[in-house]
Amino acid sequence: MATIATSAAIHHALVLDRQELAPGVVVLGFDAPALVRVTRPGQFVMAIPPSGELAATALGIYEASGNRASVMFFVVGKRTAELAALRAGDHIELTGPLGNGFTLDNVRNVAIVAGGVGIASVLLPAQALTRAGARVRLYYGARTNALLVDHDRFTSEGCELHAATDDGSMGHAGYITDLLSQTNDLPDMILACGPTPMLRVVARIAEERNIAAQLSLEETFACGVGGCWGCVVPLVRTSKQAPSFPPAQRNGSDVVYARVCKEGPVFWAHELRW
Amino acid sequence: MVDLRGVDLGVKIGKLELPYPTFMGSGCYGSGEEFASFVDLARIGAVVLKSVTRLPRLGNPTPRLVHTPAGMLNAIGLQNPGIDWYLEQEVAKFASRPCAIVGSVAGFSVDDYAYVSERLATRDEIDALEVNVSCPNVASEGETFACDPKLTAKVVRAVRATTDKTLIVKLSPNVTDIASIAREAEAAGADALAVINTVRGMAIDVDRWQPRLGNVTGGLSGPAIRPIAVLAVYEVARAVTIPIVGQGGIETTSDALEFFLAGASAISIGTANFTDPQIPLRIIEELAQYLRLRNLGSLAKIVGKANVGFSNPYQYEGDEG
Repeated sequence: MATIATSAAIHHALVLDRQELAPGVVVLGFDAPALVRVTRPGQFVMAIPPSGELAATALGIYEASGNRASVMFFVVGKRTAELAALRAGDHIELTGPLGNGFTLDNVRNVAIVAGGVGIASVLLPAQALTRAGARVRLYYGARTNALLVDHDRFTSEGCELHAATDDGSMGHAGYITDLLSQTNDLPDMILACGPTPMLRVVARIAEERNIAAQLSLEETFACGVGGCWGCVVPLVRTSKQAPSFPPAQRNGSDVVYARVCKEGPVFWAHELRW
Repeated sequence: MVDLRGVDLGVKIGKLELPYPTFMGSGCYGSGEEFASFVDLARIGAVVLKSVTRLPRLGNPTPRLVHTPAGMLNAIGLQNPGIDWYLEQEVAKFASRPCAIVGSVAGFSVDDYAYVSERLATRDEIDALEVNVSCPNVASEGETFACDPKLTAKVVRAVRATTDKTLIVKLSPNVTDIASIAREAEAAGADALAVINTVRGMAIDVDRWQPRLGNVTGGLSGPAIRPIAVLAVYEVARAVTIPIVGQGGIETTSDALEFFLAGASAISIGTANFTDPQIPLRIIEELAQYLRLRNLGSLAKIVGKANVGFSNPYQYEGDEG
């Protein structure tokens, strides 16, 4: 993964717009030119719920262009409910950009797999790759067609869309990974973001087909900046992303715990031991 | 910029002299570097580093965190590279921090504590040591040190023998009588006490019928434990004469004041940094304001001043009641 030191800062940003793309799926756009300038595809922010009473929550950076960046999230609890209540003219406090993003060098033919609001972390890499002339296929799955939000944003960038819904209301009726596993037109790289069960299937398909895959993981965070070691995943010790620890005392262990927030959130599928 | 005109927020903890009474809790703040690009570390008192042990530790299985009402459970399990690697690869980096650096020592035997302390204390980058006898998240001995006055005393005596640096002993709330343990730690040579570590807790996933933490149990932190911590500080302050670093769910200046009034000379902020990393800076600013409005020149004047039947001569006209 790219390991350029980030210039994370706390941004006190004016909310420019708020859209509910589907029931519970919210996009907040805000004025943060300093964030836009340093954001790389696959990075995230820690957004502070406005009451100040709840822990900050990690949100993938959905869009970053000019003065405006945005986050997309599904309202699932108190923290996202507070953030969803923000309106244009309010302010949002966020720290970012954080984490290491996708490695996009020399990618010519890519399959991007997104499940649900996992779509939030893959627009920036899709834009970067299409603009660099790569062939980009988007495999996008959700429960129902209304939740396949903003797929036209990707097709208008030149991505080929392959859709799946649980109820068959759009595209394949079933899992998006069904479509990925059926194709014989293999990409040279897979990028994926979505629910963990989906990522596990993507990792298995990538291994069977011998395709490099980068997975953007989600974990429960506390600090989001590498300070607490709460959000770890087991990684092979030989990974370039592994924290440079000596072998631990647990005998026979060839893994090391890496922080999703710091060494990740994007990891090479073949290096995860989860 | 912190406006400290006419107000002294300085604090002396053992030999450690700090311009601000704010510690960043062990395990919550990395080595400070993780926060340095967006928090001015010159505006905090000290970073307490993550605990280091004799041997490297992989840490606990995942999940390691659960958000709970008004707080969170964690069970990290002292993941760290071990003292050898730490001294070779990590410690030199701490020299550039513009605040005090407190090393944290953990172990599984009295000898472990003495060994790690002796080696860590040799380094100039480390200004003081915190003795973590109270981690609730490691399997075997776990908290037995902090839960037993005699064992606490043994560890503190052994560590004391290795260094003249300031020793802060971190106590557990998971005990029947924290004051008796505090007295033993003081008698054994502690320069200060950190009160409190996390409160043991557990959360269960009712769909899977499984504990939510890989380690089954964890340590509860955040505002949920604040009243427990304030009481512990109040009790310990009446049992010892050494300074107390009060901690447990501090999020606001008002929370911090509770700890000072209960008897803490300094405070430590942990979980609140996950809510908003600017909280420690805000508290400093507002503490100075609070003292200035009451014509109190120094923070020391309010330490331990909460007493039953006590009438506050410094009540500010803006205060309620």
